[in-house]
Amino acid sequence: MGDMFREILNIEQPPTPELTKESLMTKKKGANEKTRMSRRPEGMHREVFALLYKDSKDAPPLLPTDSGLGYKQNKARLGMKKVRKWEWTRFTNAARSDGVQFCHWQRASDEPKEYPFAKLNRQLSIPTYNLNEYNTHLRMNTKWNKSQTDYLFELAQRFDTRFVTMTDRWDRDKYGIKTVEDLKERYYEVIGTLQKIRQGAANNEKKIYVFDAEHERKRKEQLKKLFDRTQAQIEEETMLQNEMRKIEARKKEREKKTQDLQKLISQADKQDEQATLTTPQARKQEKKLNRKKVPVQQKINKADVVTSMETAAIRFGEGVNKGTGIAMRSQKMKLPANFGQKRTKALEQILSEFKVDQNPPATEEICTAFNDLRSDMILLHEIRSTLSSSEFELETLKQVAEIKQEIAD
Amino acid sequence: MSNLLKFSDFGPDSGGRMKGVVEVKPIVYGNVSRAFGKKREEDGHTHQWTVYVKPYINEDMQTYVKKIHFKLHESYENPNRIITKPPYEVSETGWGEFEVVIKIYFHDPTIYKPVTFYHILKLFQPPSDGSAPNIEGPSTIPPIIDTKKRLVSEFYDEIVFYEPSQLMQQMLNTIQPVSSGSWTHDTDFEEKKVKTLEHIQDTRIKVKSEIAQLKERLQQTREKISEYKELMGTDKKQP
Repeated sequence: MGDMFREILNIEQPPTPELTKESLMTKKKGANEKTRMSRRPEGMHREVFALLYKDSKDAPPLLPTDSGLGYKQNKARLGMKKVRKWEWTRFTNAARSDGVQFCHWQRASDEPKEYPFAKLNRQLSIPTYNLNEYNTHLRMNTKWNKSQTDYLFELAQRFDTRFVTMTDRWDRDKYGIKTVEDLKERYYEVIGTLQKIRQGAANNEKKIYVFDAEHERKRKEQLKKLFDRTQAQIEEETMLQNEMRKIEARKKEREKKTQDLQKLISQADKQDEQATLTTPQARKQEKKLNRKKVPVQQKINKADVVTSMETAAIRFGEGVNKGTGIAMRSQKMKLPANFGQKRTKALEQILSEFKVDQNPPATEEICTAFNDLRSDMILLHEIRSTLSSSEFELETLKQVAEIKQEIAD
Repeated sequence: MSNLLKFSDFGPDSGGRMKGVVEVKPIVYGNVSRAFGKKREEDGHTHQWTVYVKPYINEDMQTYVKKIHFKLHESYENPNRIITKPPYEVSETGWGEFEVVIKIYFHDPTIYKPVTFYHILKLFQPPSDGSAPNIEGPSTIPPIIDTKKRLVSEFYDEIVFYEPSQLMQQMLNTIQPVSSGSWTHDTDFEEKKVKTLEHIQDTRIKVKSEIAQLKERLQQTREKISEYKELMGTDKKQP
């Protein structure tokens, strides 16, 4: 058989090994197959062949290896027991008052029990009132008379207070037109009143359900309006919502900007304070150095360097090796990497506006002064732009106010 | 380089770092250029220029500088020019301005990283004042043009040695003058330093006063805005 398949599949047949006692005793079948199948059959794509021979060089399984014993345990062991008998039996539904008998299939072995679905027919206990109670407590509502109220309670009993059905079945010719809300309102009014009267006697407080008919009417009206919108109205609404969102976002952004500016201003103020504190002594020192003409050995007061770094709103010369090593002094004036092109441009513009050399001689004093100046310039730039945007905002507000005034007039 | 100092005297760590010491060596770098007056036939070059690094004071930089590397525009044949002896300069001819990368290497074996800075080679003088609108703005100092039609664009900077090694400090403090004559620069940097600092300080005062003014105005505008907003807010509620 195998040989035949091999022939059909065009698989090369191994030379039949000579049958000796030794070969019969030692040779395993697997070994034989291994040597046979590890050669790629002619015409078979290399990729397909690689799929077959990957791990153990075993021949591909020809039979499905699924044993059926997976990870899940079988729930039912079918076909092991004798079939139990079913019978077509009569039954009565306890929920029915007419005692009609129907039939259903039931196991012969099962005990006859109460019809299990009978308990799903829950009976509502709808309170009733007598004439006396009606006359003393329930007459006040002028929209409802006795016969209408009686009819309402009759329907409530019949349809288990399914008010929508009750409204549908309401006899409009005889009792006038009533809506769902009208029915509910009257029903719960009566129920509530009755409960109050009887509770007063029994003295056990139970929460009285109050039906807010007005709210319900409004809700339905609104839903109806929402449902009746035309496509154009829907589009307009979404458009307006989007506009609103945009306006909110812009407002937020403005507020954020204002906050940032406030921070900058307070920072600048702090800087001023510190500057006035440090300058007298620093000035003296610098003058001394200037008199020397040539700063052969400028011993830098390290503390001064640190404070000047900290007070600057912009951290100039970021990443420059401060502790040890060699650096060009001018690197202290380098703009920080995160400074941004827009601000760099703005800074350049202000520098040229005040005719300040962008590349001043890099003494320590000049570096510090230049950095402080540029910090202030950035602040100036931000204040300028905030001011112009605020002025624009004010202008817009003014115009809006004028228009409103005109409309009002 | 003076033979007074031997690296071996200081060991592999060059004698360790001098805590809290900062040494400063001022330098001047830049370029001079001169126009031929006409375009050269064979290569179209119009200027002859020299880019240089000089000590600001009369000192022999060779004492502590191992070499200076000038990286020219890539269109030059062998753009990496390495100079090991003063004068540290490269002379070339050309037709265009470009950024020269300058790297200074030091003798101290504990410092293998050079300091790097950039110089934009200046060949052309910007349009003279009062004529066409100045694109670059008045903040870029006009290069000096002297009687020989030479154009000079040079800058003052300082090499700062934070906590140098003992060897380095020795080297920095035992420097011979580089020339016996007087040592001057085309630019009077002493005057420039004073003037620049004054100008920066004056400008800062101006900027500060403008900030104060604008702050006031901003405050007023904000108040007005909130007034209007309140007005609008009440308007909205009324109907």
